[in-house]
Amino acid sequence: MSMMKNYVVETIRKAQMVQLLANGKRLDERALDQPRELKIETGVIPKANGSARVTLGNTEVIAGVKIATGIPFPDTPDKGILMVNAEILPMSSPYAEAGPPSEDAIELARVTDRGIRESEMVDMGKLSLIPGKTVIAVFVDCNVMNVDGNLFDATSYAVVSALRTAKMKKYVIKDDKVEATDELIPVPVETTPVSVTIARIGDRLVVDPNAEEEASMDMRITITTDDNGNICASQKGEASTITPEQVLQAADVSIKVGKAIRAQIIEATK
Amino acid sequence: MKKLWEGAQLAGSKRKLIDENGIRLDGRKWNELRPIKLQVGVMKNADGSAYIEWGKNKIMAAVYGPKEVHPKHQVLPDRALLRCRYHMAPFSVDERKNPAPSRREIEISKVIREALVPAVVVEDYPRTAIEVWVEVLQSDGGSRVAGITAASLALADAGINMRDLVVGCSCGLIGEQVVSDLDDTEDKEGNGDMPVAIMPNLGQVGLLQVDGVYTRENFQKAFELAIEKGKEIYLMQREALTRRFFGGEAQTTEVEEGAE
Amino acid sequence: MPMIQRRQVIPGDVVAKGNYRFGSYIERHGDEYVALRVGIAEILRDEIKLSPLTGPYLPRTDDEVIGKVVDVNGFGWVVDINSCFDGFLPASFVFGRDFSPATHDLSSKFKVGDIIGTRIESFERSRDPQLSIRGQGYGKIESGEIVKISPTKVPRIIGRRGAMINLINERTGCDIKVGQNGVVVVDGSPEGIVKAVKAIRLVEEETRAPDLISKVEEALGGSAVGGI
Repeated sequence: MSMMKNYVVETIRKAQMVQLLANGKRLDERALDQPRELKIETGVIPKANGSARVTLGNTEVIAGVKIATGIPFPDTPDKGILMVNAEILPMSSPYAEAGPPSEDAIELARVTDRGIRESEMVDMGKLSLIPGKTVIAVFVDCNVMNVDGNLFDATSYAVVSALRTAKMKKYVIKDDKVEATDELIPVPVETTPVSVTIARIGDRLVVDPNAEEEASMDMRITITTDDNGNICASQKGEASTITPEQVLQAADVSIKVGKAIRAQIIEATK
Repeated sequence: MKKLWEGAQLAGSKRKLIDENGIRLDGRKWNELRPIKLQVGVMKNADGSAYIEWGKNKIMAAVYGPKEVHPKHQVLPDRALLRCRYHMAPFSVDERKNPAPSRREIEISKVIREALVPAVVVEDYPRTAIEVWVEVLQSDGGSRVAGITAASLALADAGINMRDLVVGCSCGLIGEQVVSDLDDTEDKEGNGDMPVAIMPNLGQVGLLQVDGVYTRENFQKAFELAIEKGKEIYLMQREALTRRFFGGEAQTTEVEEGAE
Repeated sequence: MPMIQRRQVIPGDVVAKGNYRFGSYIERHGDEYVALRVGIAEILRDEIKLSPLTGPYLPRTDDEVIGKVVDVNGFGWVVDINSCFDGFLPASFVFGRDFSPATHDLSSKFKVGDIIGTRIESFERSRDPQLSIRGQGYGKIESGEIVKISPTKVPRIIGRRGAMINLINERTGCDIKVGQNGVVVVDGSPEGIVKAVKAIRLVEEETRAPDLISKVEEALGGSAVGGI
């Protein structure tokens, strides 16, 4: 991603990369459609309603869920509120900077949010308490701790894992007033969206690019699929084009790779 | 900010933070610390890093540098510019916190920087920037002193020249009783909080903030207790650095000159 | 033989008291000598030294470093030398005194991303270090695997009078270039490179091992490859 614009891949390293890719191989010995090792740890922030630390290779993201009551948006009076936010911490890379969220951090948050929202992962209707007046608001904040490429997928897996394990207070309505009980219930999760990011280097498509692959790519595409293998969100990035054939090829890869990752997320968040 | 009468009322009427045997809500005596866990060298990209768990605090500190200064007009011709940011994750507190830096975080960033700079040999790195990032992942009482304690380890891990480590501890008042290392509840419902950071070998104080009303006697008692407890935590800092670089106890050996 | 006392120290430790000559990473406070880094302090009869175990590379004149070109402008190349200061290689050092930005194409010589072996021509604290490629063995490195190590561990990779680097070279047939800035380029057969990189990583991890060279020898196996 362009936040790594300061990161220059060494000519001899890039030549090696391109030569290997021509033979279907990568510098870190992965297959073209093989993501890096994914580790998921949940419940890392006990003060949050739900949390997860995800590492995808050396990329590390911590997501935390906070749940409160709020006022619904006027156009969706009978639906709860879901907000996904992400910050690329200045400690995450020598190229990240402190200050207001960068263009990249905002794109990251919005693409992640879109995958969760459009897949209807959380049943927003069930988050409504008194239509038009009080609903449950779910905030998911992500801290990118260490950057080594593909923040999109690592962040998405962290959000999904945190939401799948989040517990919220059960609310009851007495005399038109919302009251919190001591009972804890899970967030109403309906499906497990999985984002898969594919980068193009030369004419090859590779899954889950690391930092040096991102610095060598000219195009990337992120595709999110749901439990049924339906495509529910996508974002093409970088200042280059993609052919229609490659879009369809990427869709097939993301459905296939997404299935294996979904099984792993479900296992880790039981 | 708590006022004395408010605190006295809370301590009396609401709930007792300390019982007649001098035992606090979490079972500690007046001069005991919460459990502390320190780990050095935990982040991949950073030049130096340290992670601290102190009570319910979970804090990551990372250091980059020395590196070039941007924007250029901030360059100091004779020493390094130390940048410091203390930041709380939105999910680190009970009510979600807005991710934009608050006035509190900006002030804490400044006092952390001013506690660390005297330990760093900034003259050795003219025209450069050294960046210290402190991220509170979960917050409890005393997060600024925990942040300083971790940040100084991250600086040592990065191999920045330092004339001493910096270690912090906060002491305070419950009613008229001086206590060490206030947790979140004691900080909010107690009668005073005094975060202190020291350079333990040089015997200097780099951070001192006080709120609450102290008699002259209690002021001295709380201040000296903070220093004493800081020295205990310093031993844990030593242990964490030694574990990272020497894999165990630090050693002194004698060999013949010329032998290898 | 006089005895040397060797101590593991962290910043703030008093290494010794009294009257000594002392080198880098040590500061004198009254009659106390204070360590500024995590490292091994050696206390000799009248001298104290500290070898740090971690820290950034700070340029020194005449150091041989391996850098990466990160920018080209009209007058030369900006080179990342793994330090807080970028190196600058002036075009006149490469094209000669008749260099003119109008007639010479800098990118034809070195492009962004190229790896070059270079020497620090001069460095004062008030300006960025100036680089030179005059002399034998400097210039563009065309192939090989890049390995980054802590600059504080460079002396261990080289070994006593080059013993370590010679050993790795003999046993793997690889050409190994070591920059004082902690950048190493290993070139040779694919199998040789894998072995050599493993050996370098071993030296880096086991810096404190007492008989490091035998350990590396063992790890590299008995026979030399491709060394004929």
